Amino acid sequence: MKYRLIFIVAVCLLCSGFVSKPLTSLDDLRDKRIGVLLGSVHDRYASSTYPHASILQYKSPSDLVLGVKSGKVDAAIYSYDELMELLRLHDDLAIIGDALFSTPIGMGFHRDNNELRHEFNSFLKQLRSNGQYDSMIRYWMTGHAVKMPKLQQSADGKSLVVGIVSDNGLPFNVVIDNRMVGFNIELLERFALYSGRKIIYRDLEFSNQIAALQSKKIDMCAAVMSITEERKKKIAFSDPYYEQAANMFALKKNIAVSNVVSKTRQKGKSVSFFESVANSFQSNIVQENRYLLILEGFKTTVVISVLSTLFGTFLGAIVCFMRMSSNAILRMLAQTYISILRGTPVLVFLMLIFYVVFASVNIDPVFVSVIAFGMNFAAYVSEIFRSGIESIDKGQTEAGIAMGFTKVNTFLFIVLPQTVQRILPVYKGEFISLVKMTSIVGYIAVQDLTKASDIIRSRTFDAFFPLIMVAVLYFLISWFLMLGMEYAERLANPKLKRKKIINA
Amino acid sequence: MIKIEHLSKKFGDLEVLKDVTVEIKTGEVISIIGPSGTGKSTFLRCINLLDRPSGGSIRIDGVDILDPKSDVPKVRQKMNMVFQSFNLFFHLSVMDNLTIGPIKLLGMSKVDADRKAMDLLKLVGLAEKAESYPDELSGGQKQRVAIARCMAMDPKIILFDEPTSALDPTMVSEVLSVIRRLAKAGMTMAIVTHEMDFARDVSNRVLYMDDGVIYEVGTPEQIFDNPQKEKTRTFINRIRSFSYHIASPDYDLYAMNAEIETFCDKQILPVKTRQNLLLLVEEMLQIYNPLLSTVLLDINLAYSEKKESLEVVFESTGEAINMLDKSLLPDELGLTLIQSVTESIDYQRVNNKNRVTLILKKK
Repeated sequence: MKYRLIFIVAVCLLCSGFVSKPLTSLDDLRDKRIGVLLGSVHDRYASSTYPHASILQYKSPSDLVLGVKSGKVDAAIYSYDELMELLRLHDDLAIIGDALFSTPIGMGFHRDNNELRHEFNSFLKQLRSNGQYDSMIRYWMTGHAVKMPKLQQSADGKSLVVGIVSDNGLPFNVVIDNRMVGFNIELLERFALYSGRKIIYRDLEFSNQIAALQSKKIDMCAAVMSITEERKKKIAFSDPYYEQAANMFALKKNIAVSNVVSKTRQKGKSVSFFESVANSFQSNIVQENRYLLILEGFKTTVVISVLSTLFGTFLGAIVCFMRMSSNAILRMLAQTYISILRGTPVLVFLMLIFYVVFASVNIDPVFVSVIAFGMNFAAYVSEIFRSGIESIDKGQTEAGIAMGFTKVNTFLFIVLPQTVQRILPVYKGEFISLVKMTSIVGYIAVQDLTKASDIIRSRTFDAFFPLIMVAVLYFLISWFLMLGMEYAERLANPKLKRKKIINA
Repeated sequence: MIKIEHLSKKFGDLEVLKDVTVEIKTGEVISIIGPSGTGKSTFLRCINLLDRPSGGSIRIDGVDILDPKSDVPKVRQKMNMVFQSFNLFFHLSVMDNLTIGPIKLLGMSKVDADRKAMDLLKLVGLAEKAESYPDELSGGQKQRVAIARCMAMDPKIILFDEPTSALDPTMVSEVLSVIRRLAKAGMTMAIVTHEMDFARDVSNRVLYMDDGVIYEVGTPEQIFDNPQKEKTRTFINRIRSFSYHIASPDYDLYAMNAEIETFCDKQILPVKTRQNLLLLVEEMLQIYNPLLSTVLLDINLAYSEKKESLEVVFESTGEAINMLDKSLLPDELGLTLIQSVTESIDYQRVNNKNRVTLILKKK
C-alpha cells in the first residue's frame, strides 16, 4: 500500500510536469490529454473539437474514471447524470465548464427487427402516459436510488437477449449486490413484464454493442446510446427515452477555480497500512457480497479452461493424425489449419467465432469460448503430439509389428505411452498458458475472473486490490493444475514409479 | 516348413530382390551372407511381411501368407524377428518387454507370462536385470533381451537381421553364444550376418546372396572352403576389402589414413605391414598428385586371408598413362621406396582406366 501511494505520488508529480497551468476553461484542454469512451459520441466530439489534443480511448467507463484519477489523462468526457453520481462518491473529481452538447438516448435494435422496436415504442408511450416514467425519473435521477424497486418476477416467456454495459454507472446501469441495478434495468424489466419476455443480459463493451446487434448476438442494445445519424445507418433506434448532456471532468486539484483539494488526501495518509488493506478487503470483497462475483468468475474460468483443454486435446489428436497421414489432402488441410490458428491472435479469433461464424445464432458465449480456445489449443498441441510421436524411433514400432501386434495396437501399447511421457512437460506449459489466455473472454460477454474484477473495479475505483487478488487467483488455479499435471507426469514415467516402490 | 518361391521386391524402380526361391525346414539354421546392399535384410523383412513382397509366394506349412485373406499379425506371431538395433520397448522394464506379447497377444495370464519370462531371462543370463529398463543395459545385454523377447512368443522361426552389427566388438561374442545355444536346442533360425566364423560353425546351410538373387547355396564347408561360382569365390577371398575415392587434390588425407588403419586393425595385420602399406599409399599419392585436379582416383585394398596377401589397386580415369614409368618421373626416389615394399607391380589399361596393381611384401 505504501508503495502504491509512492507510485501515485510519483505519477502525480510526473503529471504535474505536463499540467503546468491549472485548467480554467475548456479552451485550456486544446493540447492536453483527453479521455473518452471508445466508440461513444464523446469520442467523436473530442477528436473534432480538440484536433491538437491527444485523445485516449478507454474501453469501459470505469477505466475512464480510473484514468482521470490516476492522472493518465488531464480530463475526460462523460455523460452528465453518471458524472453527478460519481462526484457524490469521489470528491476529488469536478466538472469543468458547462455542458458540451446533449443528445437523445434510445434503445438499439437490428434494422430488420421492426416488430420488437414498435413493441418497445408503444411500451414507452404507455409508460409516459400513466406517469410511471416520471416517477422512475424521480426515483433514479433525483432520488439517487441504489436499489431496484420491487417488481413482479418477469414471466418465463420468450428470451430477450439485451446488450448492456454493466459498469456504465448510476443512475442507468451498475452492478450492486451481484445484480444489475439502474434506470435502464428497471426500464428493461418493465418492458419484459409488458411483453411477456425473459431477459438475458450480455455484458459487452460499449464499442462492441453495434456489431453484436448486427450479428444478432443480442436482440436489443441498452447501452445508454446516443441516437446519431451515423449509427442510424447501421441499427434502428427506439423513440428517445432520455436526453443526456455530456461534460468534461478532471481532478479537482487541477482545476483553477476550486481550492478544496487536501481534504481527502490527508484522510488517506492517516490510515495505517493494515487498516487500508482491511478497508480495501471490505470494499472489494465483502461489501455487496462481491466475493460471489469472484466465485462465479472463478468457476467460469476453471470450466472454460478445463473444457477447452479436453476439446483441444481431442481435436489436436485428430489434427495430428491428419498431419501425419499418408493422404496429401488431409496433410495439407491439417497444415493449413495449424498455420491459420497459430498465425491469428486468439482474441481476434475469439471475436471472429462469436460475431461472424456464429452470427445469427443464439449461443452461449461460454460454449463459444470453449470452441475458440479449444481450436487454438488444438493447433499447438497437435504439433506437440506430432513431435512426440516422431521422436519415438521407428524400430520399436517395427518390433511391435514383427511380434504380431496390429498397427493400432502397436501405437496404443508401444508408441503412445512413450509419447505421453515425453510431451507432458511441454503440454503442461501450453495448458497453463491456455488458463491465462482465457482472461480475454470478457470481450464476448462471458463473466470470468478477469471480468469479475473489472466489475468490482468499476464500483470501487480501486485498481490495486482487485487486480492483485485476481492475479493471485490465476496463479493458484495454474499452480493447482500444475500439481495435477506433475502427478500425471509421475504416473507416466515408469522409472519414477519404480523408485517409489523401492523406497516404500 | 517355410517355402519361398520366386519372391521379388521392388522399391520404386529399384529391384532389390529378383527371384528368390528357397525352403527352410524345421530345426534348420540358415545363414545369409553376401556383400552389402544385395537384399539380405530385405529378404528377411519380406518373410516377416514388414516389407510387402512385390511378387512370388511364401507358404508356411502349406498356407500362403501373401493371400490377402490371411491374418498377417497372427502369422507374424509365429516368426519373430531380432533387429540390428535391438528395438526394445523403452517404456517397459526388461520383464514387461518379455511379457507384453504373451499377455496381450497370446492371452497368457500374468503369472504364467512372468514365470516363462524369468526362465527365458535365465537362459540368456539376464535374470538379475528383470526389473531394469532398456537404457540401463549395455548393447549386448539389450540384444540378449531382444532374443528372449522373441522366444517368449514361442515362434516357429526366429529371423535375425544382422544381430551383432551395431555392437561393440567386445559384446559380439555374448550375443553369438546365446544364438549358438538356441541353435543347439533345435530352434529354427534364419540369420543375416557378417560374422563369417559364426556363420560357418552355427549353420546347416549358407545362402550366398548377390544382386537380389540367391547366387549359391551349400553347406558351410562348401561355401567357405570350396565355393563353386565366381562371385562367391571373390567374396570369400575378398571378404575384407577397403576402397577410397579421391575426386580432388583437396581430399582428406587424415581421414583416409585413419580408415586404412581401421582396416588393418580389423584384419589384424602386423605393425610392419601396416607401416609399409601407409608408406606405399603415401608415395603413390605423391606421384599421382599432379593428376588429381583432372582425374578421379580409386584406391582399393583387398586382403586375402588364405593367401595372406595384401593387394593394393590404384585406378585412375583419363588418357592412358602409366604413372610408374621411369621416363615420366622427375626422380626415382619414390619409385625405389615403392619397390622396396612390394612384391610385384603391374600396369594394365582396363575399361578406359589405368590400373596399377601392387602386391605388398609379406613381412
